[in-house]
Amino acid sequence: MSKDVIVTQNISKTYGKPPLQVYALRETNLQIKQGDYIAIIGPSGSGKSTLMNLLGCLDKPTSGNIIIDGSDVSTLNENELARIRREKIGFIFQKYNLIPTLNALENVELSMGFAGVDSQTRTKKAKQLLEMVELTKRMTHKPSEMSGGEQQRVAIARALANNPSIILADEPTGNVDTKSGDNIMRILEEVNKKGETIIVVTHNMAIAQRAKRVLRIQDGEVKEEHV
Amino acid sequence: MFRDNVKLAIKNLRNRLSRSLLTLLGISIGIMAIISLLALGEGMQQAITGELSSLSDVIIVSTGGNAFSAFGGGGSTGQYFTQRDIAVIQRLQGIKEISTQLSGSALAEYNGKKTIVSLTGMDIAVMRLQYSTTSLKAGGFLNEGDQNKIMIGYGIAHDTFDADISVGGRIKINGEKFFVTGIFGKQGMGGVSSDSIVLMSSRDFTKLTGQSNISLIYLRIENVKDAESIATTIQGAINENHGRKDFATATTMTSILETVQSITGILQVVLVGIASIALVVASIGIMNTMLTSVMERTREIGIMKAIGATNQDIMSIFIFEGMLLSSVGGIIGIILGVFGSQGLTLILNSFMQMGGSMNLTPVITITSVVLAVTVSLMVGVLSSLYPAYKAARMSPIEAVRYE
Repeated sequence: MSKDVIVTQNISKTYGKPPLQVYALRETNLQIKQGDYIAIIGPSGSGKSTLMNLLGCLDKPTSGNIIIDGSDVSTLNENELARIRREKIGFIFQKYNLIPTLNALENVELSMGFAGVDSQTRTKKAKQLLEMVELTKRMTHKPSEMSGGEQQRVAIARALANNPSIILADEPTGNVDTKSGDNIMRILEEVNKKGETIIVVTHNMAIAQRAKRVLRIQDGEVKEEHV
Repeated sequence: MFRDNVKLAIKNLRNRLSRSLLTLLGISIGIMAIISLLALGEGMQQAITGELSSLSDVIIVSTGGNAFSAFGGGGSTGQYFTQRDIAVIQRLQGIKEISTQLSGSALAEYNGKKTIVSLTGMDIAVMRLQYSTTSLKAGGFLNEGDQNKIMIGYGIAHDTFDADISVGGRIKINGEKFFVTGIFGKQGMGGVSSDSIVLMSSRDFTKLTGQSNISLIYLRIENVKDAESIATTIQGAINENHGRKDFATATTMTSILETVQSITGILQVVLVGIASIALVVASIGIMNTMLTSVMERTREIGIMKAIGATNQDIMSIFIFEGMLLSSVGGIIGIILGVFGSQGLTLILNSFMQMGGSMNLTPVITITSVVLAVTVSLMVGVLSSLYPAYKAARMSPIEAVRYE
């Protein structure tokens, strides 16, 4: 029986004050286990990004609790949340979001640097990760010198750098062609097979159907779909 | 993390090279101004105090309430010392030498034009001492034993008579012929007293005018430590002779030195103050560059926060950038300051015509270099503090979404 990596207890996120209060997410209860591969789907403005931001500790819920790896993160301060993001979560964004002044290797090393990993260890690890995403020949290239697919693979390597227990991918194939998109999903699935929890937000049903679980969000309410 | 921050800062500054270089130039100019002006101020202080401290055993007694001016002057107030005053001084213990400066006026004639000029007579040794800081334009000082020889100021040589007077020229004073052996350079900003001077030996003065109007008394004392007490005694005794409390002022070189030091000290503070304006402008430049950088890198900041950077990490990245800019700018500024101070001195020397023994040399002290480095680092930290704080406070969600 796998342990719970994320548990949400009645989390809600609202913007504004009554009577103009808007619910971005309503009393959501989720249980995400180690090794889960979850797709979150829903129309634009349904609350997908809000849920991702909350699960990724980029934002705090208005009410309810989020428990990551056994500890309640809803009450933590900014720096403690940064530590959780650094140690437990790996982000993959739709627009890759690599640092433009750094090359592929340095981009992967960056988050390890924030975690205090020494220079030699992180270079070795970054090289291994870039090899894994088949970018051995692109290590010294800057993001502007790489294709969308390659940049996203660097982003995957970066997300894995600090051995997180959860990978959050926001439309990871949204900006790449079908072949690259398929390659990216294949890498993520391989990572999932090694025991990593993967949560993917997507519009693409074909991508969603590759997941083990699908969560549909509509007007801030999350429902589990059976695939 | 220190090395990473430095590496990151270098990469970011290189990525915005022209802007970084312009900001760097700003700080360099600020530091250059501080170094140059401090060097100039220090040079000025050392030049003046160097001259004066060699005269530490000298006391100058002048008439009137004002202290003697150290710069080639010696005010004639129309009141003169008497032989009784001299006798009082001669009776005192610890006096090595007494000498006087005589003042009067006479009718001078050159090339057919006659005019009244001020005459100053003094012992040759005293003359050399008093005018040691005044530059000579031509010729040389009078020598002991010289008779019917004079030194004249620039104004007498060029502006008083119809024709210019040169060294070797003959001027008739009260009907007697005098040869010009030396002409002082134009004083300009340095002082005006020697421009209209006609200087001769005491013996010639007395012989010519039949007067002995003593306007200044120079004393050399045996022990420098006694300077202040002897000066007070002399002042009191002469004042008593004349029945007035403010007839004479006895000034020691030590007190002149203190006055000069406090004046040059104030001058240095003013100079640094002026240079600081350049530095303030430069630090605003850094802040501007950093704020622009923070805005341009909003997304980058969001990404870094998302992948685990704390507020402190973000702040230190930007503060390092500011410090790097300012410290490199500071080092360049110090190097430019070394050359700048030489250039400034050359310009000042030629403007003020402070040639001869009073040549100004810039002095760059360790203190001013340490001060420049410290100030530049502080400027870097302070001016990047606000941009760094702004960056650190950014919400990672909004920053990541920023286009």
